[in-house]
Formats: sequence, C-alpha cells, structure tokens
Amino acid sequence: MTDDGAPLQLLDRGYRAIMRQVVETATAPHFTALAAELAIPVEQARQLSHELVSITPGWMAPETDLFASFPPFNLQPTQYRVTVDGVGGWYAQCGLEATAVRWLFPGKTIRVEAPCLCCGEVMVVEMHDEEIVATEPAEIVGYTSDVIGGSAESRPFR
Amino acid sequence: MNLFRSEAHARRWDGFNPKMAHAIKPIAEWADTFANPFFRERGRADYISWTRSDDGVAAFRALRSSLPLPADD
Repeated sequence: MTDDGAPLQLLDRGYRAIMRQVVETATAPHFTALAAELAIPVEQARQLSHELVSITPGWMAPETDLFASFPPFNLQPTQYRVTVDGVGGWYAQCGLEATAVRWLFPGKTIRVEAPCLCCGEVMVVEMHDEEIVATEPAEIVGYTSDVIGGSAESRPFR
Repeated sequence: MNLFRSEAHARRWDGFNPKMAHAIKPIAEWADTFANPFFRERGRADYISWTRSDDGVAAFRALRSSLPLPADD
C-alpha cells in the first residue's frame, strides 16, 4: 500500500493496462473499461486513473476523467506525429518525450514528424532502438524554456 | 519542450527564455537524456514498483542531475 493512494501492485497493473492499450491502439481506456480489465470497482478505477497520471507524469483533460496525456504519448493530437514501422496514429507528449517513444516499440522504426514552432517547416526524426537513424534537417535541436517537470516541489519524475 | 530546426530557430521562438538558453541541445543529446532507464523501463509490468526500487531511485537521481536549470539572474 502506498501512503494514501492505491496499493502498489494495483498501480503496476493499472499502469501496465493503460500503457499496453496506448501502445497497441494509440488510445487510452476509459476508467470504466479499466475497472473491467482490473476487476475493480468503477470509482476505484477512476481514482486510480488520476493517481497514475499524477505519477507518470501525464494529465487528464481539464475538469474530466479522460486521459489527455500519458507519457511519452499524448492522447490529444500534438504537433509531434508518430508512426511505428509506417503505421500512424500516435502523438508524443512533447518533442523530447518523442525520443523516448522508441523504448516502447523495440525492434521497430519510429518516425516523428513535426513542424518547427518558429517557421512551420517540417522536421523528421527516425529512431530504431538505440540508434537515431535520421534527422532532417541535421541541425534539429531540442529546447525547454523551463525546468523539465516543473518546480522542484511538484516535479513529477518521482 | 519542443524541437526546432536549428538553434537559431529556437532563439527566435516567441517562447524562448534566455535563462534557459543552455537548454538548447542537439536532438542526439536530448535523446541520450531520454534514454535514462526511467524512460526505457516504461514497458515493464512492474514499472511503478520499479520507479520506487533502488534502481529506479538511482535512475531518477541521475536523470534529475542531467536536466538543465534556469541560469541565475
């Protein structure tokens, strides 16, 4: 049992169920579906969903119980379109998390296409496991204008 | 946390923060940061438990130490 949240084993099962569906379908389960899969009450699954996005760190669509972001993915479209061995449908949470999508698709080629926020011209990054296969243009940079994860008090990488 | 076609593009972006100018890095360097086990291990069945294990805590500590902080005034 965690301090005041769900039991650790349930957090593992919930995280695994959500991530598996996102990887397989580019969609996240509704908490009612999560409840059925985990064989837990619906309200417990709703609370579990919120707890997991606070840990991972993702977020719900404001004022709802609907997943919006489950890193490295975003369930709402972002400018970071992801294809896996040529199949599309996924979006990365941000440009930096886009480079971490590959760890969830071992042995497959991940292609990220995104417009530059400065000029709108398209950039492409291809990755395959450990290797950055291609970047177009070669000079692509990543940048964060603030501390990754937010303030130290609320930093979500925990 | 965005990608730009070059450092010059990042600096011209409306959201550019000079205090974080040192956070402009080639994508390969950011890809190394996001190759930390904290990201690699997301596919495991016990991921949340792992993040709280000694290995997970060590990975997180290494990750945090590698992340850029705002420059002082």
